[in-house]
Amino acid sequence: MLSTRDLVAGYDERTVLDGLDLELPADAFTVIVGPNACGKSTLLRTLARLLVPRRGAVLLDGKAIQELPTREVARRLAVLPQSPLVPEGVTVADLVGRGRQPYQRWWRQWSEEDSSAVDRAMALADVAGLADRPVDTLSGGQRQRVWIAMTLAQDTEALLLDEPTTFLDLAHQVEVLDLLHRLRVERGRTVVAVLHDLNQAARYADHLVAMRAGAVVAAGPPREILTADLVREVFGLDCVVVPCPVTGAPLVVPALTSPTLADPAARTPEPAPAGAAAAPEASSPTGSTGGTPAGGATALAGSYPSEGH
Amino acid sequence: MTAPSRERTSAVESRGVTPGIVRLPGRSLLRIGSLSVQIRRRSVLVAAVLLVLLAVASVLSLSLGTPYVAAGDVLRSLSGAGTPYDLVVLDLRLPRVVLAAVAGAAFGVAGTLIQSVARNPLASPDVIGVTQGAGLAATVALTSGAAAVVVGPAALAGGLVAAALVLALGARHGLAAQRFVLAGVAVAFALKALTEIVMLTAEAIDGQRAQIWLIGTLAGKGWTEAAWIGGTLLLLLPVLAWAGWALNSSALDDDTARGIGLRPVSRRIALAGTGVLVAAMVTAQVGAVDFVALVAPQVARRLVRAERPPLVCAALMGALLLVLADLVGRRLFAPTQLPAGVLTAAIGGPYLMYLLLRGRRRSS
Repeated sequence: MLSTRDLVAGYDERTVLDGLDLELPADAFTVIVGPNACGKSTLLRTLARLLVPRRGAVLLDGKAIQELPTREVARRLAVLPQSPLVPEGVTVADLVGRGRQPYQRWWRQWSEEDSSAVDRAMALADVAGLADRPVDTLSGGQRQRVWIAMTLAQDTEALLLDEPTTFLDLAHQVEVLDLLHRLRVERGRTVVAVLHDLNQAARYADHLVAMRAGAVVAAGPPREILTADLVREVFGLDCVVVPCPVTGAPLVVPALTSPTLADPAARTPEPAPAGAAAAPEASSPTGSTGGTPAGGATALAGSYPSEGH
Repeated sequence: MTAPSRERTSAVESRGVTPGIVRLPGRSLLRIGSLSVQIRRRSVLVAAVLLVLLAVASVLSLSLGTPYVAAGDVLRSLSGAGTPYDLVVLDLRLPRVVLAAVAGAAFGVAGTLIQSVARNPLASPDVIGVTQGAGLAATVALTSGAAAVVVGPAALAGGLVAAALVLALGARHGLAAQRFVLAGVAVAFALKALTEIVMLTAEAIDGQRAQIWLIGTLAGKGWTEAAWIGGTLLLLLPVLAWAGWALNSSALDDDTARGIGLRPVSRRIALAGTGVLVAAMVTAQVGAVDFVALVAPQVARRLVRAERPPLVCAALMGALLLVLADLVGRRLFAPTQLPAGVLTAAIGGPYLMYLLLRGRRRSS
């Protein structure tokens, strides 16, 4: 439903995206990854019409998003910016209610539909119990769920999120990503998120977009495109890709960068499994669910000398 | 790893959220035909109390003075029953009380709009240059021997020019809060310096007249000034009705606001423009009584316990404050009259301090 055509965007003098063509599949969870300053946030902000492109266009169901009335866009596409400003003293229900803005006018400020949408959104994001609490008194994880609830109250087909897991601990990161996954699977929403963690991207994404220096390097299902070669090309990092023991999705483990990091006990045994695991092609997700921890460590140790630079 | 979230989901479902029960906390819905407006219940209460206090203060202001008029006679005069005090109450005192109420309300409205756009409780017409622009123009008019009728329009023009300059400087980066305030402070200081120069080089007697104008007083003013201010507010009523609603989203950052389909920059320009228009008009009519614009929105906000100054309550608070300030200024050292501008600061300042202290104790 969202695509870009020859997109050029940036800030002031700096051009970040230069002629980007991208197709984002509908009813999928798309994750955009890439190194810092690669343009992934710029891309998300441009997709959400928060940033006006210099050239080219973002197409929402074939129509240029900049030419659609912003209220109409807000009914079809919601966006959660990176670390939004928490207004002082605003209650959770109030903030989630702001998500109904595109359906409201000053002479029609609230309807039954607004009530039920806010209700559904708060239940879905599991913040119904916090309805009367001021948002600025909540923990980071709770806040993030409240912001997501606000975007859910917008009742849109698509939801765009810019690093929704930053500043959250691991348990809360998983919680937020599980929520996004449920939205896609149970509600059929199109979800697009910028994430930092490659392994989380691989675990949750149906469609992975890897960016580098303002261009898309690869796009597709993570199990097909996420290889050690891709990680090296995109992040300039040597790594080993093994199947995740829990989901079978590709798991990116950085190569041994210093011999002192490896456990000497794990380094000594036979080199046979190391050779097999070091080759990224061999780590197909259809294979057994990963080696033992010792095997993994050996793989790292084994990969180190051959990838030295 | 997925077990906890599954548990939580089922917990939500089993809690049985009945659809349509979400009401915004502390709000009620007012429906008239196809009109539906959210109203804070506490705002209604505060507004009612402020209205009663305003009525009491007005009657008090009409009755105190020389001669003293009993409250009963004041009410009889007001109702048109005819008393020997009609001249004192209706012709001498009423115009000034009405002017105080209208001007106070206008300052309250202007302060609310400007503070919300600036996201700064300290922003008021005198922080963003409107007062200084009006002051400079009025000072030039008063010291150059121009006719008295010129002073008001000149001050209005001065205030608007200064405001336009501030908006133009601030708008270059989307009228971001900090830039707006900084541009205002810069313009205000420059204009203030110019005013001082004009005043120091003028005749002493003209300089003093200008000084009194700058402090702001209601003495010798009445229906004409009240009509100008009231007319402006009335004309802007549709805009103000929209503003009351638009202010709800003024605390959101620009990306979030755009995400929910707003145009934050044009919205800020409209709100700030309305605010400075009202501020310039009222300052031109009564001078720089603008401490009201700073304090009324903040006091009203704390009384309503809202996250932003409420427009209607701030207007009522401003009216009450200026009526009281004018009354005290008139009576405290009678027959010497103190300008209302001095008294608003003397009354409003300590009250704001009290609210700040109280708020701090509660939060700690």
